[in-house]
Amino acid sequence: MELFRALAVIAEPPVGEAAPVAAALELGALPPASAYTELFAFQLYPYASVYLGAEGMLGGAARDLIAGFWRALKQTPPAEPDYLPVMLALYAHLCELEDTAQDETMRAGWRHARRAFLWEHLLSWLPVYLEKLSELAPPFYQKWGELLRRALLREAAATGGQDTLSLHLRESAGLSDPRANGLEPFLQTLLSPARSGMILTRADLTRAARTLNLGTRIGERLYIIKALFGQDAAQLLEWLAQEATRWAGRHRSQHAALSQISQAWTTKAEASAALLRELKLTAQDVA
Amino acid sequence: MRLDELNKRVSVARRETEARGETFYPGPSRIHLAAFPPKERWDDWVELDSRAWPKRVERRYMLVPTTCFNCESACGLLAYVDRESLQVQKFEGNPEHPGSRGRNCAKGPATLNQITDPDRILYPLKRAGKRGAGEWVRVSWDEALDDIAARIRKAIVERRHNEIMYHVGRPGEDGFTERILAAWGVDGHNSHTNVCSSSSRAGYQYWMGLDRPSPDHANADVVFLISSHLEAGHYFNPHAQRVMEAKARGAKLIVFDTRLSNTATHADFWIAPYPGSEPAIVLSIANYLIENKLYNREFVRRWWNWEEYMAVERPETETTFENFERALKELYGGYTFEYAAQESGVEARVIEEIARVVSQAGTKFSSHNWRSASAGNSGGWQVTRTLFMLNALLGAIATEGGVFPNAWNKFVPKPIHTPPHPQTWNELTWPREYPLAMNELSFLLPHFLKEGRGRVDVYFTRVYNPVWTNPDGFSWVEALTDEKLFGCYVALTPTWNETAYFADYILPMGHGSERHDIHSYETHDAQWLGFRQPVLRAARERLGEKLDDTRAVNPGEVWEENEFWLELSWRIDADGTLGIRQYVESRERPGERLGVDEYYGYIFEHSVPGLPERAARENLTPLEFMRRYGAFEVRKKVGAIYEEVVPEEELEDTRADRFGRVYTRTAKPPTTNIVPIPTIDPDADGRRFVGVQDGAQVRRGFPTPSGRLEFYSRTLADWGWHEHSLPTYIKSHVHPDNLDEGQTVLISTFRLPVQIHTRSANAKWLDEIAHTNPLWIHTRHAARLGLQTGDLVRVETEIGYFVVKAWVTEGIRPGIVACSHHMGRWKLKDAAGQRQLMATVNLSHEGDEWGLQRERGVAPYASSDADTLRIWWTDVGVHQNLTFPVHPDPVSGMHCWHQAVRVRAADAADKYGDISVDTQKAHEVYQKWLSRTRPADAFSPDSTRRPYWLLRPLKPAREFYRLPDERELLSVE
Repeated sequence: MELFRALAVIAEPPVGEAAPVAAALELGALPPASAYTELFAFQLYPYASVYLGAEGMLGGAARDLIAGFWRALKQTPPAEPDYLPVMLALYAHLCELEDTAQDETMRAGWRHARRAFLWEHLLSWLPVYLEKLSELAPPFYQKWGELLRRALLREAAATGGQDTLSLHLRESAGLSDPRANGLEPFLQTLLSPARSGMILTRADLTRAARTLNLGTRIGERLYIIKALFGQDAAQLLEWLAQEATRWAGRHRSQHAALSQISQAWTTKAEASAALLRELKLTAQDVA
Repeated sequence: MRLDELNKRVSVARRETEARGETFYPGPSRIHLAAFPPKERWDDWVELDSRAWPKRVERRYMLVPTTCFNCESACGLLAYVDRESLQVQKFEGNPEHPGSRGRNCAKGPATLNQITDPDRILYPLKRAGKRGAGEWVRVSWDEALDDIAARIRKAIVERRHNEIMYHVGRPGEDGFTERILAAWGVDGHNSHTNVCSSSSRAGYQYWMGLDRPSPDHANADVVFLISSHLEAGHYFNPHAQRVMEAKARGAKLIVFDTRLSNTATHADFWIAPYPGSEPAIVLSIANYLIENKLYNREFVRRWWNWEEYMAVERPETETTFENFERALKELYGGYTFEYAAQESGVEARVIEEIARVVSQAGTKFSSHNWRSASAGNSGGWQVTRTLFMLNALLGAIATEGGVFPNAWNKFVPKPIHTPPHPQTWNELTWPREYPLAMNELSFLLPHFLKEGRGRVDVYFTRVYNPVWTNPDGFSWVEALTDEKLFGCYVALTPTWNETAYFADYILPMGHGSERHDIHSYETHDAQWLGFRQPVLRAARERLGEKLDDTRAVNPGEVWEENEFWLELSWRIDADGTLGIRQYVESRERPGERLGVDEYYGYIFEHSVPGLPERAARENLTPLEFMRRYGAFEVRKKVGAIYEEVVPEEELEDTRADRFGRVYTRTAKPPTTNIVPIPTIDPDADGRRFVGVQDGAQVRRGFPTPSGRLEFYSRTLADWGWHEHSLPTYIKSHVHPDNLDEGQTVLISTFRLPVQIHTRSANAKWLDEIAHTNPLWIHTRHAARLGLQTGDLVRVETEIGYFVVKAWVTEGIRPGIVACSHHMGRWKLKDAAGQRQLMATVNLSHEGDEWGLQRERGVAPYASSDADTLRIWWTDVGVHQNLTFPVHPDPVSGMHCWHQAVRVRAADAADKYGDISVDTQKAHEVYQKWLSRTRPADAFSPDSTRRPYWLLRPLKPAREFYRLPDERELLSVE
């Protein structure tokens, strides 16, 4: 579907060449590059592995799984197969291949590939990502996010659900328990959406600091959250538990369209909320 | 808005934008490549000036495509021409080029170093003193052209056509200069190919009629390389990127290389066989496929010329496929893994494992060899012949992931004028001792001249440096300094070289961004055309100027060869009486000389299918389109042409012979693709060969005498080489059986990945990376000789020795030594030269004894380029090729590069770079190898000099293939 390729372009830096694409999508004038940088480079990194991986970081097994999809198609994976524009363009390409297939067998093959990619690698994280984006993005990217969300949900409906939960989500564990494994792995898994059930951006951590009247240290998210934890572990745990509960509610609202996926995300967020509350009771020990 | 409507709206916007030749989807979302400057902004591209950092200073560029002229890959370049200064700021890849797809190796961007080289030759020079004395005067182009044209005219008028010779290294174009020579009526084309790829070509040609492979590496499941092809070699950049794509997809890479090359480091299976044993290993793999019935039986049945083999060679046995299979088993049964292990020194179990991997490739098996083992060994042409046999067994020919014949993946457009075949045969290049030579016996020229076989009155070298590149360079020096042998020597070169010192004229020609040419190479299953152009000329034309002469934009008086050849031809026959002028005359303006705009404009307008229509979509003429984008893809996914059914309209009054070859009365349909394809003899009644019978249909087949893949070469059998008529293993001249006590093998054929023969001598970026060529020697071997890295070593060949530094490494087969031929450039004391990579030397000469002693290496020097003061290296390697005698393979004519040598610690008096050679001994070695030939006089089955179907550059008219009979010779005398 052409639309996905066009939406892919908008998730790239807003160079002048993207203006006709934005116009065709009725998104209006391209935003300044600083808006793109703030959203995609500082808050919501447009890489699937960040949201599906065990460490909440670029690359790793999550990226390998997506590269594996290319290989299964007998294609050479690009350097960053989990980069959102590349993923959307691949999806568009699969739609084109299905549309232009010369016989029904080929068409069925491409349809199968398209459906697998959609459910396995796109719907497994993008609705959650776009949910967060709707909170943070300036109007131009809000409109883009909404369009992408609608398009994805329509594809979800058109392709008729999934048989098995995405491997990314099936394989992901919950939060690491600091009482057993120490503080650092616990904090690291808080920043892994697939494990915590929630997306914590830099903006969220700043909000936490402001709400809890704590000082924000400038650095990577892990560094920031560690600094917050050091200042008042109990308060922070409570704040995180509330966030997790809020995320569980958001995930539940998607159940109608994405039942298994939303269920998996809900379960993760609820489990996180429960653990965080339990930890709050022994906050001194945890810190 | 509804999503469907939005989707439609985007599609319409895309179609409209792309119809204007503009980019709708920039960047990674195109899926294909990372971002390149969108082409609609190539007229005015803005980048920040890196030198102005931290200030943000914008610079504006015109991006003008051209084609790299370093190796033969012809990758696309994009010149960034500064709009203010109208100078080239840098070169990057051209994303519109179908072969290289925007990617380049180090040599492409280093074109900038070449065009700004402070030591380059900028004006025509004429010798002032004795030849080789290094004294030159600047002359005008007119003076040089008139003098050379008059000499050539005189030779033609006096019927001395064979005294005009053009010796080319890197052609860098498809047929332009050959047609100039044809217009002059001379058989004077002399390529370097017999020191390069003849051997490989022969192996391929005997199988499929065409002499180059076009592997579809990107789609292969198994890639089999006998070479260091990921880092060097023909088309290595387009191929390497596709091999890596295959690897990323999970394909297996098999590499045979005696050295741990960069390619070997990427292999799933790397083996380092004893040099020359490669066919034994490959045939053991073939035997495994045959023995275990793992070959593509139906393909073999349909496409091999097994019926011919059985009928001719086994007449006592009934010609059935089953009997052939039994014969096949019997023929190759001796090539066991154990035998291969014994010959190669590679463990049998490793070979067996490789055989298993090969057997699982099916039709997705791409294999490649170009120089390497085939260039190193006598009988090396059986390396490619046996390797291609694996493809032929698997049916992996012209399949996705298989190997295509090159001509199917190449497009050579018909030019504006086509002169006839020359009415002469030049025995200096095509001597009758080598009737099956793939190319000219160019490297034997000094010996032929010394023997009195002829003389050369006007000798051109173009992008060629035989004194340095060829074996036995001192024999070249002896011949070049003898004015009785070479009347006038004209060196067409952009840079100084060892041969040019002995020239009468040095005429400066442009680098890759300073000249016109068209190319098409078999980089993958497609046909494309690349356009090289003087980028400053194209840039100024974009700004509205009209230029007729490339000298107007090149530095100094540097020219381009196309305009030079047109002008020289015009002056040879200014009045048209010799019949030459008509081939260089304008059609648009009769009576005037043809210009390059008209020449290429005609080709792009009339001979490239689809180009005019594609250009029209952007409101451009075809020439404007090529000037703007630099390349055009004529056809994608050509596929298996041999399977194509010949249409009824081509089958008038056909006859099929007993082997299923079909001949027709229908004339060959016209085509604008004139890529060289063998001409197969007609039947006795003059019908044209059109294809082969396949059941009720006639299919195109292969351009071989049998129309099929020639497992059995009747040509070899009939021309005296019956024992090699099948793919076999010929023991090399460096096989252990042929070595004397204490001798070892020197591998001299490998390149340094960032250098390219003579042309990169002053590419400072490349020189800084690679500037020397130590002798690779294995740790155990070195310990035995008491050597450590950096120690001086004397390497003794059959005719002399060289002194080089040792590099002790585990990365080579124990007992074998290796030294790259890419180094050891030199210039004579007080002579001009390229000062970044040429040592200054003294030549000494007494009788047949020659010596070369290094006086000093390179050093920093002041020039127009401040970087020349920053040169930190002094060592530029050793010129080993001077110490190699000629080793012409008696069948292919290829020089067999590997050397049987003795290696020892240098003597106390030896100095780094010392070279000593006895040219009398060199001549004796030449005679020894010559005695192994089977000349046409004695072995030709039909009184011709050469099988007519074999490819040959610049074919003479057919009647000149006939050997002169004794009476004719007597009457001439």
